[in-house]
Amino acid sequence: MSVVGITTPTKAFSHATGQSFIALLPTGPYIALGVLIVALSLMLVWFLPSQVPYKLFKKINLIEFRINSSTQEISSFISFLFVVWGIQTGLNGTRDPLENPLTLGFWVAFWMAAPMIQGYLFNLWGWISPWQWAVKPLTILLSRPWLKLPDQAGILPAVAILLMFSAFTLADPAPDDPARLASVLTVYMTMTFSGMVVFGPERWLERVEFFSVMMVQLKRLAVFAQRGDKLCAGWLGWQFKDNIKIFRGISIFILVLLGTGSFDGLNETFFWFDQIGVNPLDFPGRSAVVIPVVIGLLSANLILIGLFIIMITIGNRLASGHLNTTTLLNAFAPTVLPIALAYHTAHYLPSLLVEGQYVLLALNDPLGNGFNLLGLDGFYVTTGFFNHRETVRLIWLSQAFVITLGHVISVILAHLESVRIYGDSVRAVYAGLPVAIFMVLYTWLGLWLLAAPKIS
Amino acid sequence: MRKPTNNVSIKRNHQVDMGQVQNMTKQSSRRKAIKTLAATTALVATASSLPLFGRYSQAEASEPIKIGFQVHRTGIGAAYGRWYDRATKAAVKKINDEGGINGRKVEIIAEDDGTDPKRGAEVVEKMATQHGCDIAFGTLFSHVVIGSAPRAGELKIPYFVVSEGHHVASGMLNRYTLQPGITDVKSQVQAMAPFVSSSLGKKVTMIYPDFAFGHDHRDYFSAAIEAQGGQVVAKIAIPPTESSFTKYFPKIPRNTDVIYHVMVGPAVLTFVKEMGEFFGNSRPEIFGFIDSLEAVDLASPGLEFLEGTYFWEGNPRYAQANQSVYDKDYRTAVGVDANGASLSDSKDVSTYAHMFGCWETLHIVKAGMEASGYSGPKDRAKLIEAVEAMTLMPHSHAHPQGAKEFNGRTHQVFGHQYITKVTNSKLVLAHTTSISDTYYPDEVDYTKQPF
Repeated sequence: MSVVGITTPTKAFSHATGQSFIALLPTGPYIALGVLIVALSLMLVWFLPSQVPYKLFKKINLIEFRINSSTQEISSFISFLFVVWGIQTGLNGTRDPLENPLTLGFWVAFWMAAPMIQGYLFNLWGWISPWQWAVKPLTILLSRPWLKLPDQAGILPAVAILLMFSAFTLADPAPDDPARLASVLTVYMTMTFSGMVVFGPERWLERVEFFSVMMVQLKRLAVFAQRGDKLCAGWLGWQFKDNIKIFRGISIFILVLLGTGSFDGLNETFFWFDQIGVNPLDFPGRSAVVIPVVIGLLSANLILIGLFIIMITIGNRLASGHLNTTTLLNAFAPTVLPIALAYHTAHYLPSLLVEGQYVLLALNDPLGNGFNLLGLDGFYVTTGFFNHRETVRLIWLSQAFVITLGHVISVILAHLESVRIYGDSVRAVYAGLPVAIFMVLYTWLGLWLLAAPKIS
Repeated sequence: MRKPTNNVSIKRNHQVDMGQVQNMTKQSSRRKAIKTLAATTALVATASSLPLFGRYSQAEASEPIKIGFQVHRTGIGAAYGRWYDRATKAAVKKINDEGGINGRKVEIIAEDDGTDPKRGAEVVEKMATQHGCDIAFGTLFSHVVIGSAPRAGELKIPYFVVSEGHHVASGMLNRYTLQPGITDVKSQVQAMAPFVSSSLGKKVTMIYPDFAFGHDHRDYFSAAIEAQGGQVVAKIAIPPTESSFTKYFPKIPRNTDVIYHVMVGPAVLTFVKEMGEFFGNSRPEIFGFIDSLEAVDLASPGLEFLEGTYFWEGNPRYAQANQSVYDKDYRTAVGVDANGASLSDSKDVSTYAHMFGCWETLHIVKAGMEASGYSGPKDRAKLIEAVEAMTLMPHSHAHPQGAKEFNGRTHQVFGHQYITKVTNSKLVLAHTTSISDTYYPDEVDYTKQPF
């Protein structure tokens, strides 16, 4: 998950001019307003009767709705075939990352857009996971796994792979080179299927395959979901406590999602370049900063996890609680999911506006033989909205809105968790206070990152 | 943003004696003309007397000419890369519609270099060894050129760059690297001096970012304005990460006639706004390089202060009153309107001052391949010799920016520069330099290097 920048694959389109216009916007007052909104929401949940926030997350039954699981399995298998075709085009298709279906499909349609659909709307992953189709056949074929994943490891293998993937995304010199991406995905697909065979398909997908782990977490926030034979809806986060298996280390995974996203935003700011002694106007290229970026990525995550543990521990003391760190982390860390999703969304919004156009052009003529399926023949990709103050303002405010909203939801969820584990509202306020302050400051950080001069 | 330049070489020989330049230029022009005429005649004679066009087999003839396009798809050059891609595709379409090169279609194989020198060298290698490209082409950012050119030389693949950097003509690269489609920053900057000193004033304050790119402007222009009897009265270097400029403006001496600015980066609009607030209605003349505002609509709020100021433009963004049919057709082919904006979105302003270089370079490649009877990688040296033999390039559909003169020894082209004045938020042509305004003494003779 990440926030804004050229340091993400296929990004780079946020025009320098967009940055120039942001510099002219009154971002100071905008940031102050965003922080104030989060702080006020916090006070509101403190002082409102405790059942009010619960009412906010009440579900509404919409219509009769039933999905046959085999439909999703067929869809998952088609997704698998798409991935295989994508890898083939990555190896043999056009070398241009903005025309190659693999680069566009993986980085833009999947990595940028799919988490947003998953987190805001519905469980898309249930349809597009390229592995889910194999779970049933493998379970039938292999009555029990050849090897057992050690329970002690919990979900930490997924954390390690998430960090490796983040390093590939942020530090590798050419993650959007189609052939390079195809090779990485081939290795990962092979590893995943092998892992599913050796350790059991469900266990591997639940605890090692990090896309699945991430998507299962994001699903907790979505507005729409199937419950029984009904399609239900509710405010972002209404499913937060539903049907969630807790694995050891899941809180670390969630914090790493946020830490990585935060570092991605920082990674392209002039502030960061000052720290690593690079002139951003004379940026020597990603290959020149691999080591600082990897160190920054790891440090940012360690700092975030450390700070978070300190905050929840102080909160526990303030409430005179005797809960251990694991219990506290399992309660509070998931409440940062809306912030992580907000960072991801705000970060990739400008990219999606531009690279989404390349995706549409690719769909217009998917086989490169002159089709004009969407009638886009002769259309040129535009970045004109980065060249004008009002459109730049609109984009910036949309990003700021997403960041602020994410924090507001996190603040409410954190308070509800605090009430749940401490039992009464007063102790919950004390216990949640440090995390709440942390989230208010994180709002400032997120908005500051949006406004800061950068080289995107 | 402008291409940052890595300038070990750029500062070489920047002290230029203008009289010497003119003498040398006249002599070298004559020498070149004679030599080129002879060489071109010989090539044409060879091409027609020997069965060159029949030399390559039918199979080869049906194979496309593969041009490796080293494009800044990602990284700090991506905004330029998008337009370089459009100009390149448009040129290839035109060339193919007109029968291709030596009867063969042209195929572009685009590789993203990430605007990264190390990656640049890797993609040049891929073009030469994996994709079977005949040439590599299209690089803009200087540090990528400097990082890639040695590999091109080792692999003996002609490398046609469109970078504006002085690194080609400075002699730091090699015989396989050529810049025939766009002029270099040294010639551009020094060509501004006669107009600035005669029309705007002799006392100049320079405001520039404090790194190699800004230093080039400082050094080239200081020397050139002094040669015109002018003087740089203050050199104000701005740290690259500066975001507010109010503390620098008081350093501008009161006797300044002209401010010369080349600010780049995300603070450039802030720079303009604060400069406007500082001067109010009484300002000196102001001259800048369009690199600061390339792809920015001059009608943007906050840029009103630029009204009446002057810019260097490599190619005028707005169609001028004396627009040539070549410029008109070039705009249509690239999909750009009379304001230099995309036909798909009038707010999407192009990098018009630079991207013509891709179009012109590809036409030079075509001319070079046809003159040398190029049939495959074994003829790469002949292709380079054919381009080295080129001299005058007339204003034409192949050269819509204007006439040019190529210097085969330095592998660098020279051409007209345009100075436009912001008038009603548009850039209106105020002055066109002569080609000779851009000359400077040769710093290298690549033709003496073995292949």
